[in-house]
Amino acid sequence: MASIAVIRAQIEHRLPGALRASGHAARETFPTGIAALDRQMGGIPQSVLTQICIPGGMVSGKTTMLVSLMAQLTRREHFCALVDVSDCFDPVSAEAAGADLSRVLWVRCGDKKHKLKPLEQAFRAADILVQNGGFGLIAVDLGNIEERHIRKIPLTTWFRFARVVEKMPTALVFLTTYPAAQSCAGLTLHMAGVEPCWAGSGTVPHAQSLVEMKFELEVRRTQLRKPMQSVRQKFAAAPVWA
Amino acid sequence: MLFGCIHVPDFPVQAALRVDSKASFKADAVAVMDGPESQLKVFACNRAARRAGINPGMTKAQAEACPEVTLRKRVVEQEESAQSALLDCGYGFSPRVESTFPGTITIDLTGTERLLGPQTKIGRQLAQRAEACGFGANIALAANPDATLHAARGFTGITVIPPGEEGRRLACLLIEVLQLEAEILDALDSWGIRDFKALAALPTIPLTQRLGQHGLHLQRLARGEVQRELVPAEPTIAFRESMELEEAVELLEPLAFVLNRLLEQVAARLVARSLATDHVQVDLGLEAHVDRQLRTGPVLAAPALLHQRTLKLPVPTQDAKVLLKLLQLDLAAYPPQAPVKKVIVEAFPAHIRFGQGGLFQPLAPEPQKLEITMARLRATVGEKDEQGRDRVGFPAVIDSHKPDSFQVLPFDAERKEAKKCPPTTPKTRFVLRLFRPPLAARVELSRNVPAAVMFSGRRIRVKNASGPWRSSGSWWDKAGAWQREEWDVELKMNSGTGVYRIFRELPSGQWFVEGMYD
Repeated sequence: MASIAVIRAQIEHRLPGALRASGHAARETFPTGIAALDRQMGGIPQSVLTQICIPGGMVSGKTTMLVSLMAQLTRREHFCALVDVSDCFDPVSAEAAGADLSRVLWVRCGDKKHKLKPLEQAFRAADILVQNGGFGLIAVDLGNIEERHIRKIPLTTWFRFARVVEKMPTALVFLTTYPAAQSCAGLTLHMAGVEPCWAGSGTVPHAQSLVEMKFELEVRRTQLRKPMQSVRQKFAAAPVWA
Repeated sequence: MLFGCIHVPDFPVQAALRVDSKASFKADAVAVMDGPESQLKVFACNRAARRAGINPGMTKAQAEACPEVTLRKRVVEQEESAQSALLDCGYGFSPRVESTFPGTITIDLTGTERLLGPQTKIGRQLAQRAEACGFGANIALAANPDATLHAARGFTGITVIPPGEEGRRLACLLIEVLQLEAEILDALDSWGIRDFKALAALPTIPLTQRLGQHGLHLQRLARGEVQRELVPAEPTIAFRESMELEEAVELLEPLAFVLNRLLEQVAARLVARSLATDHVQVDLGLEAHVDRQLRTGPVLAAPALLHQRTLKLPVPTQDAKVLLKLLQLDLAAYPPQAPVKKVIVEAFPAHIRFGQGGLFQPLAPEPQKLEITMARLRATVGEKDEQGRDRVGFPAVIDSHKPDSFQVLPFDAERKEAKKCPPTTPKTRFVLRLFRPPLAARVELSRNVPAAVMFSGRRIRVKNASGPWRSSGSWWDKAGAWQREEWDVELKMNSGTGVYRIFRELPSGQWFVEGMYD
């Protein structure tokens, strides 16, 4: 009976590179400032499309992760671009969370008078930003868009973005309610669940305050590390006023 | 001493064709007409037109007999901007430039050999610079201004006259090059003097007896011996190009060709002066049609005759393509209300900004490319929101307690130092995800504490609540006064738990959901 080494050698001979991890493994990453993710994946990869999925657009820590990533990048003198489909970005809390807003290009979609719908505006804006280049992070926040609309986005759109960003030192991050990019995404994160921690007396609301929120994060799919082990991890975040 | 001269033959024709991408000075026969509308006469023409039988002074009807000749009306503004462009060519080489005649400038190049190289090389550079500004010019270099002027007028291409050889090199030039009055020209003609050589060989005393000191001066000019002081022109800082269209343009696409040509000329002039621009103004002269209703006859309001657009850039540029793209996007957003008859482009100069990138600095968007990107983004998502804040830019938090106080400022990717941060890794902070505008809600209270929140068609029980946190501001301003009571509430939903910020507007008592901690 042939040993594993012999079988491996035969396969390697016939299909070179079949058993080796793909070249994407060496991609550089941007730390997110979230220890759980940085430990496991090194952060959000460059030159790859990353999708952060939140079913139903519920509270999940997606905005916290995005702002934390922005804070890390702007601290390293990178420029970031945020395409905000629902105009839900809060500059006040983002600045309090450590993001240098002067390095963030904020594109606010949703002009009702405009002939394009917000989702179309967002993809066109993302396209323009990707063509411009020079940004460390291009984030497209579709977190408030219903799943049925996300499902309608053709796969070719995601494929095009994935191919274009492949040659750029840019992290392209989509916050979506459904993992529509499928295999075009180099990294798929699922975020769900939140555990708020309150301090103080429950009977006197004025003496009670929110001191921490714990979010749950799962790496569902990655081209960067194989074999991929899907592990649920939790990370905690403090309020900006603490 | 070294002087250079740039002479543009048939200057009125070249000035008219310089901003016209369709016609070529060398290939097409063009004549420029001048005078009152009813008595137009040929003012200047190029060699191709002369070959076709056109001569200055011909009437319009006579000129129209040659169908291959294109007739153009003289625009003095175009000639003035062409002369300015010519001077800009000269200022690229020396600060002492004389506007000798329309279409001719003389440059003091003394001492520039060590900087610019040998004389032949300087001549080539002058020719290249003139060509970049849209002129087919003759170039001459010599030891005195008048010798260079006559060499440039008389010889085509680049002529370099070594010191001491002026008389010998100018000898073959025709006496017409001196551009004398008809009376003196007739006298010289009657003596059989046809060229510089013959004039230079005349005995000095008899010549002075017949023509006076002027005759002696002419002879010294023919010998290339006159040394005069240059009268430098006052450098102007206006970079203005204009074009009057024969037929009004209605669509933006053909207008882009005109703008491109004008911007290229402006950019070439800026390059010649080592300047850039961060402020461009475009004036479009419109062809107004005043409609009159039949019978009743009231004259309807005529549209404005001028459509003015201004581009302001955060970074000075010399790139005509960048300016054109920005203008195209701007005109697509704010098109002129009538066909365009005249285009004037004026660039306000600024110094070029040099930046040194660091080896270990991360990539940044290119400033010029970014400006186009910003314009394209504005065209995609709109310019302003309902509150009048920009839709594209970087957010800047306003120093105010009023919630959601921010402004959106123009984004520029200049390399600036990152904010100072503590050496230890800061803690992750959760942030607010806003509903903009806030969602109207109804809140059930139990002992003045929210017990249930109803919004988006759902009733959700409050599990935990923290508040009230009261704030107010602008009480001195009736219109802008605000007062509210905030609560952080933990809501138990079917899909999971969520912590939301709700608030009550105190004068009205209306509840809203401001956002969620996400």
